[in-house]
Amino acid sequence: MTVSEFVKAGGLTVYSEGEERQIESGYCGDFLSNIISRAPDSCAWLTVMNNVNVAAVATLIDCACILLCENTAPDEPFAARAKQLGLWVLGTDKNVYEAAKLVASLCGV
Amino acid sequence: MGGVCFEYDVDGENFASAGNASESVKRTLKQLGVSPASVRRVAIAMYEGEINMVIHAHGGKAAVEIFPDHIEIRLIDRGPGIADIDLAMKAGYSTATENIRSLGFGAGMGLPNMKKYSDEMTIDSAVGVGTTVYLRINF
Repeated sequence: MTVSEFVKAGGLTVYSEGEERQIESGYCGDFLSNIISRAPDSCAWLTVMNNVNVAAVATLIDCACILLCENTAPDEPFAARAKQLGLWVLGTDKNVYEAAKLVASLCGV
Repeated sequence: MGGVCFEYDVDGENFASAGNASESVKRTLKQLGVSPASVRRVAIAMYEGEINMVIHAHGGKAAVEIFPDHIEIRLIDRGPGIADIDLAMKAGYSTATENIRSLGFGAGMGLPNMKKYSDEMTIDSAVGVGTTVYLRINF
């Protein structure tokens, strides 16, 4: 499923848009060193971390989108950086576990 | 024959620009046609190094030399130095403050990740003088 399709099907908030691409897997985590060494390419990355470093890490791991859980919104530097880099930053009020179930059921990953 | 050299200033305590040097190297390697797997290893190792300099050393310099079959990265800072390198290399060991942890760092995985993703890594450090980390990653 593409990121836009996922946004629509999941009723997600869009904080920043990027190029259309497929979600091929998922990864949950907040410790950035774990994420850069373990998150697979083209994943939906689920986190509650909302600072500008998330943008840098998302670029390094080349994830399909960032999904901020539990009503977390990107802070201003993060939002600005995400727009500049063309990263998909999405939001949901679900907790990480529920959001992961959503990724699994909608994207079939 | 020497490689192509790049030098970057890593701004201390500026998390907004942390990652700029590794992102720039990543872009260059992609343009040179280096395999995505190698590009990723370089980007991870270098990003962790950059972040370390931002967190612990008030910034520093990243000197990068790209060869046809490998890359050499020297991360040079004049920070506090590392008193016990073996301990610093231990996964999970961190001296990062609560504030740094709240930003998502301080898992104690920075140096172990750099080691994991490089083919050669040496740390030259003196307390009160600074640290130089050398990384070589083969393509």
